[in-house]
Amino acid sequence: MRRNPALYYGKKALVFLLSVFVLSVAVFYISRLAPGDPLMSYYGERTEKMSVEEKEAAREKLGLNDPIYIQYIRWVENAAKGEFGISFKYKQDVMEVIGSRIGFTLILGGIGFVLTFAGALLLGVLCAWHEDKWVDKILCKGGTLLSCIPEFWLSLALILIFAVTLRWLPSSGAYDIGYKDDWLNRVTHLILPLTIVVLQHLWYYAYMVRNKLLEETRADYVLLGKSKGLSKKDIMLKHCLRNVLPSYISMMAISVPHVVGGTYIVETVFSYPGIGALSYESARYHDYNLLMVLCMMTGVLVIFCNLIGGIINERIDPRIKANEVVQISEVTVD
Amino acid sequence: MEELLKIENLTVGIASPAGKVQAVRDVSLELHPGEVLAIVGESGCGKSILCKTIMKLLPKSAKIEGGKIIANGVDITDYADKDMRRLRGKLFSMIFQDPMTALNPTIPIGKQIAEAIAIHEPKLSKEKVYNRVIELMELVGIKQPHERYKLYPYNFSGGMRQRSVMAIALAANPKILLADEPTTALDVTIQAQILDLLRQIQTKLGTATILVSHDLGVVARCADRVAIMYAGRIVEIGTAEEVYYDPRHPYTWGLMQSLPALNKGAKELKTIPGMPPTLIDPPKGDAFACRNEYALEIDYLEQPPMFRITDTHYAATWLLDPRAPKIDSPMGGMGHV
Repeated sequence: MRRNPALYYGKKALVFLLSVFVLSVAVFYISRLAPGDPLMSYYGERTEKMSVEEKEAAREKLGLNDPIYIQYIRWVENAAKGEFGISFKYKQDVMEVIGSRIGFTLILGGIGFVLTFAGALLLGVLCAWHEDKWVDKILCKGGTLLSCIPEFWLSLALILIFAVTLRWLPSSGAYDIGYKDDWLNRVTHLILPLTIVVLQHLWYYAYMVRNKLLEETRADYVLLGKSKGLSKKDIMLKHCLRNVLPSYISMMAISVPHVVGGTYIVETVFSYPGIGALSYESARYHDYNLLMVLCMMTGVLVIFCNLIGGIINERIDPRIKANEVVQISEVTVD
Repeated sequence: MEELLKIENLTVGIASPAGKVQAVRDVSLELHPGEVLAIVGESGCGKSILCKTIMKLLPKSAKIEGGKIIANGVDITDYADKDMRRLRGKLFSMIFQDPMTALNPTIPIGKQIAEAIAIHEPKLSKEKVYNRVIELMELVGIKQPHERYKLYPYNFSGGMRQRSVMAIALAANPKILLADEPTTALDVTIQAQILDLLRQIQTKLGTATILVSHDLGVVARCADRVAIMYAGRIVEIGTAEEVYYDPRHPYTWGLMQSLPALNKGAKELKTIPGMPPTLIDPPKGDAFACRNEYALEIDYLEQPPMFRITDTHYAATWLLDPRAPKIDSPMGGMGHV
C-alpha cells in the first residue's frame, strides 16, 4: 500500500484549516451574541453614567454597531496582518497581554504534563506488577474515586486544608508581592495548582498503562520469554513495557490540550495569572479581541495535536510499518 | 537408564467459572535422555497443560493438586518461580504452537535469541553471544544469519519464525525440549521440514524431547515412544513400534482408523463417534466408555488400571483384564506384524 504523501498531507492540512475556520466563526458569533455589555469592560463603572448618545458613539468607535459578519471579516483582515486588536479591559495590544501571562500557564501546564505522564507510567507499572494484590486494588479504586471529584471542589478542599487550616501553602497567585524573583516562593505557589492538575489526569493514564501492560503480559511471547528463563522484571520492563510505550507516547501527544486545558479551571480557582484565568475573565467581561485570540490559540493547539496524534498512530501501527519493510526485505528472504 | 524427567501421578486442576476443570488426571510418565516421547490426543485432552505444568507456566487459575515432577533427580513440584527461572531454558525449554505470536513483535530476532543466551551466561562477552546466536541460527536452518540477525518477526514467514523459536529454545543447551504442537499452525510442507529439523537437531544434540501433537501421522515421523492421552489421562504408552503396530486401547484404535492414510479406497473417513467428555465433572469409570463400541460394563463403573503388555507397553483398558472377552483388534493383521 503506497500513498501519495502530498495528497495525504494536503488532505490533513485542509481538514486543519477548515476546523480552524469553523472554530473562529463559532467563537466570534457566540461571544457577540452572549448577553452583556462590552462597554462595561472598556469603560468600567463610568458606563453607568454615560448618556445614550455617548454609549452609541463609543459603540461606533469600537466598531460594535456593524453586523457581526462585517465585524468578522474585519477581524480576519486585521488578523491576516498580524493585528489582533486591543484588549477592552487592559487597553493594551492583546498579544502583549497574553505574552505577559502565557509563561505562567506554560510552567503549570508543562510541569503538570510531565509529572502526569511520568507518574502515570510509574503507577501503571506498579499496579500491573502487583496485579489484583492490595496495592493494585487500593490505587485503582482510590484513583477512580479521586478522578470523579470535580476539579474546582478538590481545589477548594485543598485550599481549605493546606492554606486556611494548616497555613502551609499560599492559596492564590503565582508569587507574593515583593517576591517576584524568589523562585522558592514561586514553587510554593505552584504546589497546590500542580497537585490538582496532576491528580485530575494521573489516574486515567495510569489505569490505561496498567491495562495495556496486563494485556501484553497475556501475550504468547511472554510464555516464550518465561520458558527461556527471563525474570518477571525483564519480561515486564524489557518486553511488555517496550511494546506499550509507542501507544503511550502517541497518547501523550493527543492529550496535550486535555492536560493544558485542565489548567484553565485550576488557574481560575487559584487566581493563578496564566492564560486560563485570563480566558475566563475575558469571556466574563466581553473582552472580545482577547477572548478570540485565546480561544483560537487553545483551539488550534487542540486541533493540531489531534491531527499529529492521528498521524503518529498511523505511523506506529506495525501493520503499516510491516508492509513497507517486507517490501524491502523480500529481496533477501527466500 | 536413569530417567531425565519423571512424572508421578500428576493431577492438575484449573478453576473456571463453571467449576474446576480436571485438566490432567493421575498422569505418570518418564523421559529418558536423548529420546523423543510423543504425547498424542484430541484438543482439550490436557496435553498442553501437561507441558506447561512441567515448565510451571500455568495460568494463575491452575494448580498442581497431586503427584510429583522429578527433573534430573530433583523434586521440583513445589519450586517457586524464582527457582524455576534457573531451570527454564537451561534444563528444559519449550517450543510453542503458534510461531506467529510467540515472538515479541518489536524486538529483532537476533536480539531475542541473544537474550536467551545472556540470561544463563551473563558474563559472556557480546561478541561471543553474537557468534553463538549465528551458530544457533545456522543450526535451525536460517540462512544468511548475519543479515537476518537484525530483522523483526514480521519479516519472517511462519516456518522461519518457528525455526527462530527453536533457536531460542535451544540457546542454553537444554536437556529437555518440550514441543507443544510445533507444526500445527504451519503449512503442511513446512510441517515436514520443521519435524525433520526437530529430529535432526535432537539426534545431533541428544536433547530429550516431548513432542505434543494431535496428529498420529505427524508423530510417526520422529517419535521413539508414544503416549496416547484422553480426557486428562494417559490411556496407552509404548514404543512407537508397539503403539503403531500393536495398539491395545480402543481409543488408539479409533485414532489409527481415522488416519487418512489407513482409509485409502474407503468412501468415508472413519471417525470416533461422540465428543470427549468435559473435564469439569469427568465421568466415573473409563472416560472413553461411552464412545467405545467395545466398552464393558465395568468400564462405566471403574477406572481401568494400566495393564502391562510388555516392559515398555502399557494400556488402560479393561479389555486387557484376563477375565475380559477376547476381542480381535480392528486393526486386523497389523497387530501381529
